[in-house]
Amino acid sequence: MLRLPQFELAQPRTLDEACALLVEHGEEAQLVAGGTDLVPNMKHELFTPKVVISLAKVAELRGVRQEADGALVLGALTTLEALAQDERVRARAPALAQAAGLVAGPQLRRMGTLGGNVMLDTRCQWYNQTYFWRQALGFCLKKDGSACHVVAGGAKCVAAASNDTAPALLSLDAELVFHGPAGARRIAIDALYSADGIYNKTVRGEILVEVRVPATPAGHRGAYGKLRERGSIDFPLLGIAARLDLSADGTVASAALCAVALQARPLRLKKAAEVLLGTRPGTADFEAALQEAGALAQKQCHPLDNIPGDADYRREMVPVYVRRTLLAAAEGSGPVHHV
Amino acid sequence: MRVLSLHVNGDRVELAAPDHWTLLEVLRYRLGLTGSKQGCDKGDCGACTVLVEGQPVLGCLTLAASCGEKPITTIEGLMPAHLAAGGTGPDPVQAAFDRCGALQCGFCQPGMILSARALLNRNAQPTRPEIRAALSGNLCRCTGYTQIVQAIELAIAESLGVEPCAPAWAPGTNPWKLAAPAEPGA
Amino acid sequence: MSARDVRGPGAPWPEGFRLVGKAQRKIDGLSKAIGAALYTDDLVLANMLHAKILRSPHAHAKIRAIDTRAAQALPGVHAVITGECMPVKYGVIPWTPDENALALDKVRFIGDEVAAVAAVDEDTANAALKLIRVDYEPLRAFLDPEEALRTPEPQIHEQTPEQKLKEHKGNVSKHVRLEFGDVDAALAGADVVVADDYEFHGTTHTPIEPHCALAQFAPDGVLTVWSSTQITHYVQKALAQVLELPEARVRVIQPCLGGAFGGKSDPFALEFVVAKLAMLTGRPVKCLWTREEVFYAHRGRHPMKLAYRTGARRDGKLTAVDAKILIDGGSYSSFGLVTTYYSGQLLTGPYHFPAYRFDSTRVFTNKPPCGPKRGHGSVQPRFAFEVQLDQLAEKLALDPLELRRINFQGENVKTVNGQRVTSNGFLQCLDEVERASQWKARRGKLPRGRGLGVAGSMYITGTNYPVYPNPMPQAGVQLKLDRSGLVTVFTGGNDIGQGSNSIARTIVAEELGLDPADVRVVAADTDLCPVDLGAYSSRVTFMVGNALIDACRKLRVQLVAALAEHWEVDEARIGLGNGRAFERGAARTLTMREAFQLTEARFDTLGATGAYNTPKLGGDYRGGTIGASPAYSFTAHVVEVEVDEETGRITVANCWIAHDCGRALNPMLVAGQMEGSAYMGLAEALMEDHKVNRFGLHAGPSLLDYRIPTAVDTPELHALIVESLDPEGPYGAKEAGEGPLHPSIPAISNAVFDALGIRLRALPFTPAKVLRALREQATAGRGGSSVRPARVASEAEPSC
Repeated sequence: MLRLPQFELAQPRTLDEACALLVEHGEEAQLVAGGTDLVPNMKHELFTPKVVISLAKVAELRGVRQEADGALVLGALTTLEALAQDERVRARAPALAQAAGLVAGPQLRRMGTLGGNVMLDTRCQWYNQTYFWRQALGFCLKKDGSACHVVAGGAKCVAAASNDTAPALLSLDAELVFHGPAGARRIAIDALYSADGIYNKTVRGEILVEVRVPATPAGHRGAYGKLRERGSIDFPLLGIAARLDLSADGTVASAALCAVALQARPLRLKKAAEVLLGTRPGTADFEAALQEAGALAQKQCHPLDNIPGDADYRREMVPVYVRRTLLAAAEGSGPVHHV
Repeated sequence: MRVLSLHVNGDRVELAAPDHWTLLEVLRYRLGLTGSKQGCDKGDCGACTVLVEGQPVLGCLTLAASCGEKPITTIEGLMPAHLAAGGTGPDPVQAAFDRCGALQCGFCQPGMILSARALLNRNAQPTRPEIRAALSGNLCRCTGYTQIVQAIELAIAESLGVEPCAPAWAPGTNPWKLAAPAEPGA
Repeated sequence: MSARDVRGPGAPWPEGFRLVGKAQRKIDGLSKAIGAALYTDDLVLANMLHAKILRSPHAHAKIRAIDTRAAQALPGVHAVITGECMPVKYGVIPWTPDENALALDKVRFIGDEVAAVAAVDEDTANAALKLIRVDYEPLRAFLDPEEALRTPEPQIHEQTPEQKLKEHKGNVSKHVRLEFGDVDAALAGADVVVADDYEFHGTTHTPIEPHCALAQFAPDGVLTVWSSTQITHYVQKALAQVLELPEARVRVIQPCLGGAFGGKSDPFALEFVVAKLAMLTGRPVKCLWTREEVFYAHRGRHPMKLAYRTGARRDGKLTAVDAKILIDGGSYSSFGLVTTYYSGQLLTGPYHFPAYRFDSTRVFTNKPPCGPKRGHGSVQPRFAFEVQLDQLAEKLALDPLELRRINFQGENVKTVNGQRVTSNGFLQCLDEVERASQWKARRGKLPRGRGLGVAGSMYITGTNYPVYPNPMPQAGVQLKLDRSGLVTVFTGGNDIGQGSNSIARTIVAEELGLDPADVRVVAADTDLCPVDLGAYSSRVTFMVGNALIDACRKLRVQLVAALAEHWEVDEARIGLGNGRAFERGAARTLTMREAFQLTEARFDTLGATGAYNTPKLGGDYRGGTIGASPAYSFTAHVVEVEVDEETGRITVANCWIAHDCGRALNPMLVAGQMEGSAYMGLAEALMEDHKVNRFGLHAGPSLLDYRIPTAVDTPELHALIVESLDPEGPYGAKEAGEGPLHPSIPAISNAVFDALGIRLRALPFTPAKVLRALREQATAGRGGSSVRPARVASEAEPSC
């Protein structure tokens, strides 16, 4: 069996305890919640921490609640399955529920958490492999090596953000509450992700406590589209989250389109989303806007041979998934998925 | 190395294991519960599926030291639980898998059966797409899933007292009825 | 060896069959369902060590030196071995022994085994591997078979200077060219010739159980190896050869096996490694491969580039087939000699064509070695040919199903390459899929994007070519009748999940009138069981089944004689059934327990052996016995697809599988084999790709990246059993475990043509390829039928 490297497991009961452990062990510690990302990565010796700090017993990270203004507060330990099934999330943030419901397969959704998915390590076909495999090609830029095998001569890691919930949360303008040595702070999810594939987050040494999804208006529509080879288990080859807020007359008052599984940073497709403003689903204008949104999105999306799957094909699918996901959002259906 | 106190198949068991051992390794190599299988090393195949607090999860990605007080059910626990609850023989899902030929090499089936058991525990009458979706984290390489789906549908039909859907190879019949064991001396 | 006698497919007793033909539960179903069945890695011996194997990070390199001192010095390490410890070469085919248990002088692919460690636990063994220093001298690596073919040096398998002088083989592993009839004349005289190129990618078996072996070496010199193998007998022979032990001192046991599909039909490094380490350390040693290692071990489907030309008359009757095939063998021979023959020899049914030529070349490349995967050697040519038949039907404006029907070869015929075909239910197979799919009402009439496709195939039920030629039986069994009423069957046959032990129980219970529960089976233990050659070539039910009938009939004679004497009646009045012996037409009965005791008292201890060997078969030419089978199975599929024209994704909605298995001894198990086969074919057509990247590394050696379908990716599979009652099979049975894979793949391509008018000739059928073909179609003008017009014979020879 592929073995885990040796480590000590710490199981703090409170956020403060967890933070203290994180401060104590610094770079030698890794946080784990459901373990569905870190454990295989440790088996691949991508991470060899001395201490693994399990957040599973930290009560402050649990629970889903709705605030008076309609905002949803989702504890970082909320499992992806619980998120997908939660009636409040399905009603208020359908794109997020749909994205959560398409992560990996049934068992992994019961283990994996929202916090873990938000903080998911980037992925690359040259990186998510065993030590033996990576050693055979002299390692790579992201881990243990200096060459990028995706972009010849590339100096910047382009491993892909592969978390389905990220584009959905971007589309919902979610905020993240982190707890660190200096206490709690709240940041916009846009501020979390960076374009560095080695570590595509701006936050280190802090613990994600909860995800806040601001109240969505009555006319809110959302959907998630996921391209993958199989109908289960697989990471996204492309993920598209669509948001349409319809005004009382049924026209699009605000729109958002976000994509994942392209490069290190989940993308906001702003120009593509803007063309939908003022159109009304069901009309020829809307149909034309869908086409234009697809074309604009494709201009902005440049899949690379970072994750398995034909990059040209993934690019070709951008307008298709953009159109279909927007349409699903408008119709209140979704997710857009082949099974 | 630490002493773990686990709650496995209704028993409290104590054992020593290093922190980096997975639940699957502890079950198989410390407790001798080898019914849980290892197929892919890292969470891709579902052969190591066990129920933790009734939910199907992967033993190969679960750290044994993190399981604490949570009740764990492995494939070995189903029949004893069924007997203890007043049933006869194996769990009806296990029996249906046997009667439908769903066990070819059998290697994926402990995990598959536990996923199926968990599904029927939360939904007594799932549709075929719901059955397929619930099993979509358990890879089977032998059956093409057809006889597995038939087994679960047989278990459901019998729990409802209705005839199961006939297979293509025996139209208009219930071939699984014929497969019941003969009474000794009959 | 009376099993050579033809017994016919019926029951020789007037009551007919009680068990045969009805769904029977498997002998090991419940033990598997409750998690009690023991597979190799479930076995633990006291004092056991764990072995790990060091692998080559180079695709092609000389080994200059290996320094194991640091590894040996690591506390907890008990032994470190390298190739020098086991220098004897072996190969599953005795004519091509080109493997070493651990690399001796060079490595030939990334993942090739170089050294091994036995340690107290896996972590220590892994740590020791990292301390072994290997000095490599990299050599030019060949990843492309065409390049390997063009480039004779460096040789992946080096010939001696004398051998080179005689015949420099370059990187050719095997070349076979056979011609039957005058192909060129037949093609020249044909009304129509279709010529095209096809490409089959590599795929692998992916049993869910990774390979595992456990060895114990007793002080009396007996080596016992428990292994997840489907060829216990050949592993015993290979271990004896490589470890230089007498065969009688080597015992191989196959515990419960978690799937194989041909992937466990070679002797593997881990078996030699655990044996050698057990001998060196005096302790039991186990080695369990990681999933990644299983991908390197491979022996999966050979990638092939195939060029076919098929000639036909205007009425659709085939006149000639000409094939040229380039086979990418990977780094070792494995079964490659047979593969090369099979790539041509197994195409000559279910259709008749009077002239046939194939020219197949297998080359070595620096990739994981290919071997036999379900439908060994014949799935790739079958794909090409069945698509070509569809192209022919298109050209002749014939219904593709009808084209297949009019070319049916018939029963009891000799094929163009001299193979004897007896029972042949292919026409009924076509009828069944035509009916079930509503072919006539729907093919060519569904809305754009939806379509139906048909394909047919033939496969062997065992072969009369044993891996090492010998005059002894291919299958032997032994039965022990106990005073308790229990019969124990001892068979060397490997139950790999297909249910051969269950079939053994059914046959013995049927023959001796027993309750199936009173038959137990001990299988695949070389100390206890008579030799059977193993689970490959779809031979077990046919050969072991016939051997069982042979043994049972001997015992039946004794039982009937003793009972007749006891009741003082004519032997013809004695019947056996439902666990009892009875007098026909009278009320007298005894339990079989009583009958056994009576017979034992009359004849002494009861037992019998039984055997089967094939009759003399095959064409009278070199290689003519390869592919010669005592019985051929036949299959037809209709596949229904839906293609999303925007995404290019093909969804198989239904697959109707009609398979002539001779007689379904247990229809539930037959259906399971048919469904599993069709699933595996669909999977390799649409998803799976055993890709090696530009570094020579397997592109994704995991069950995440090598994508086998889940339950939501698998269509509804409809198993339609056809029974032709073979004259030589046990009760008329033929194989069911490999044949039904073949048509899945071309049937999809043909269905996509029906759906969209595009021809997919290169596997796998990825969405990107579908979109590319659609773009080409749009460029060529919509409404056109084929993207590329079929070429005629006068055009250039196919390139590969």
